[in-house]
Amino acid sequence: MSEALRSLAPATQQADARRQAQVLRALSYIGLFTLAFIVLIPFFWMLSTSFKPARGIFVMPPQWIPNPFILDHYFTIWQKTHLARGLVNSTFIALSTTVGEIATSTLAGFAFARMRFPAKGPLFGLLLMTMMIPGIVTLIPTFILFGELDWIDTFNPVILPYLLGTPFALFLSRQFFSGLPRELEDAAKVDGASFFQIYRHVFMPQARPLVATLFVLGYLHRWNDFLAPLIYLRSPEIQTVSVMLARLVDFYVQDWSVLMAGAMIALLPILIIFVVLQRFIIESVAFSGLKG
Amino acid sequence: MIRLRPRLSQASNTRREALWGWLFILPVTAGFFLFVLGPMLASLALSFTKWDLLSPAEWAGTTNWHSIFSVSVVHTPQARDEASGELLFQCGRHRNVPASELADWQQRNDERSGEPFECRPGYPRDREVLPERFGVVSEVSLFGNRWLLGARDHVLWIALFNTVYMLLAVPIGMALALAVAIVLNQQLRGRNLLRAVFYLPNVLPIAATSVIWLWIFNPEFGILNHLLGSIGLPANGRWLSDQGTVKPSLMIMGIWSALGFQMLIYLAALQAVPAQLYEAAVIDGAGLWNRFRFVTWPSLSPTTFFLLVTGMIFGFQSFAQPYIMTRGGPGNASRTVVMEIWKNGFADLEMGYASAQAWLLGVIILLITVANFRLARRWVFYEHEQHV
Repeated sequence: MSEALRSLAPATQQADARRQAQVLRALSYIGLFTLAFIVLIPFFWMLSTSFKPARGIFVMPPQWIPNPFILDHYFTIWQKTHLARGLVNSTFIALSTTVGEIATSTLAGFAFARMRFPAKGPLFGLLLMTMMIPGIVTLIPTFILFGELDWIDTFNPVILPYLLGTPFALFLSRQFFSGLPRELEDAAKVDGASFFQIYRHVFMPQARPLVATLFVLGYLHRWNDFLAPLIYLRSPEIQTVSVMLARLVDFYVQDWSVLMAGAMIALLPILIIFVVLQRFIIESVAFSGLKG
Repeated sequence: MIRLRPRLSQASNTRREALWGWLFILPVTAGFFLFVLGPMLASLALSFTKWDLLSPAEWAGTTNWHSIFSVSVVHTPQARDEASGELLFQCGRHRNVPASELADWQQRNDERSGEPFECRPGYPRDREVLPERFGVVSEVSLFGNRWLLGARDHVLWIALFNTVYMLLAVPIGMALALAVAIVLNQQLRGRNLLRAVFYLPNVLPIAATSVIWLWIFNPEFGILNHLLGSIGLPANGRWLSDQGTVKPSLMIMGIWSALGFQMLIYLAALQAVPAQLYEAAVIDGAGLWNRFRFVTWPSLSPTTFFLLVTGMIFGFQSFAQPYIMTRGGPGNASRTVVMEIWKNGFADLEMGYASAQAWLLGVIILLITVANFRLARRWVFYEHEQHV
């Protein structure tokens, strides 16, 4: 409300409005912090359990701060399971697929945004259709295909499809490149630069925000993937940390301290990334959500 | 710009551009044909076969589809004694109690529980009234009548029901997320911190959060029952181990996990609502509710639509959470369609049948998405429309 409008209202009414705003604000704080606390309880509970002796978890009422406070379960997990290996595998898969996805998707996005070639419109429409097709429909035949290629229990099935780009990254790239000014490539064209040079040396340096967004979103998404790694990665040496953790639930039945230590290890890398890049991740998600 | 090049080279330039363009989109297009369109059509073809991967695939015609859609509704009235024509009741485990002896039975105690017998109308056994090899999907008993919904693949239909049931978490979560976003959309200290806290569950691996919630829901030693007890609420919930509460339990975790994402998208959209709209509403004397009703809600409708559609597409394909937390149990109470497809395809190696199920789910998702887009024309308001 503008100052001019506000001065029209009588003084008492202004004071009332101010008091009302203060009460509202106080209530907002109480509500939000209570909810935030509730949202975090599962993590406190996980942490607390993971540091308790095995018998301590059956003590009622539960202790929030473990006494004695022990690290044994983390050593157990680290030594008796392949969870450490799982972290390496997850990182490798997430990293390689994201880099590959960015390379192919930005290249195609550039072509769709800045170049002219026959059948461009229909082809883009076809590729966008992919976003509408639920992934589950293609699951069985791709499994059979990878089986024929003898790729079950290798990294190939969970990496290769992503290397050829994803419709989401393609869509976002095209949007981004369409928004850049025309002068950018005109100068390069006069200088006789090839299309690949224009993409590589003129457009990609401008695309840092796009690449960063695609990287963060792709990395988080791939790290959290579950169904495909569960189906394709059979031996513990190549499993992702998520699949391994799910298997541990059957091995450590009722051994909640060990399982919570496992959950902690499985989410720690993402937690660290999130804490460090919090603002950027949140802005990327909001940005891509609005475009989507 | 001055064109110095001759016409001939203009044509060859166009061709060069087309070739490079196609080359640039080649990987993405190849990916589409190899991993999306190809498998999609293959899946449709497979749905007409019987194939266990070990022996050669057999053409099965419409057998798979026929099995899926073998569904029937059977109505049975209360059973009667064949000789006397008396209505029959069931008391405890005892079937075929004639109406004339009912009062007598109700006086007696059940040998199992030691409590007086509970008697209800008796009906023929399910397998006596359902077609051969059918199972019960659902049943309704009313005023001495019973309707049974049976199906050859009753587990699939139960799974579909469960999946749709749990989709209710999407609008519920969205309503909560919108409320949080509106409150958070003020000049508040610690706003960024709060935003990050709410978003955290969404970013962490679903496998890890599922294991944590498995422990939270533990009926004896889980924190949920303890916390409920400490604020005076009933603390004896069986949560994941009870057929009645398993779906709501998974939904609670689902809302916890999706809340931050929905809130974030709503918050971003709220910040894009033009301030003049609110100023105009205030001048018109609109209170908080009317400002929400006539400014905020219509401005956010594209966002609401986006969250609803993506949430439903995601929800229909729910797998990791029920797989890790319940394996579809107890009974089939939390089995989802994707779990069924996974079991048929990868545990039982029924590739043809699993493909048919996958196609069924794909078509359902597509139809619902299309329906959503149709309905959206009525209630979604896009900003550019106001200039038309």
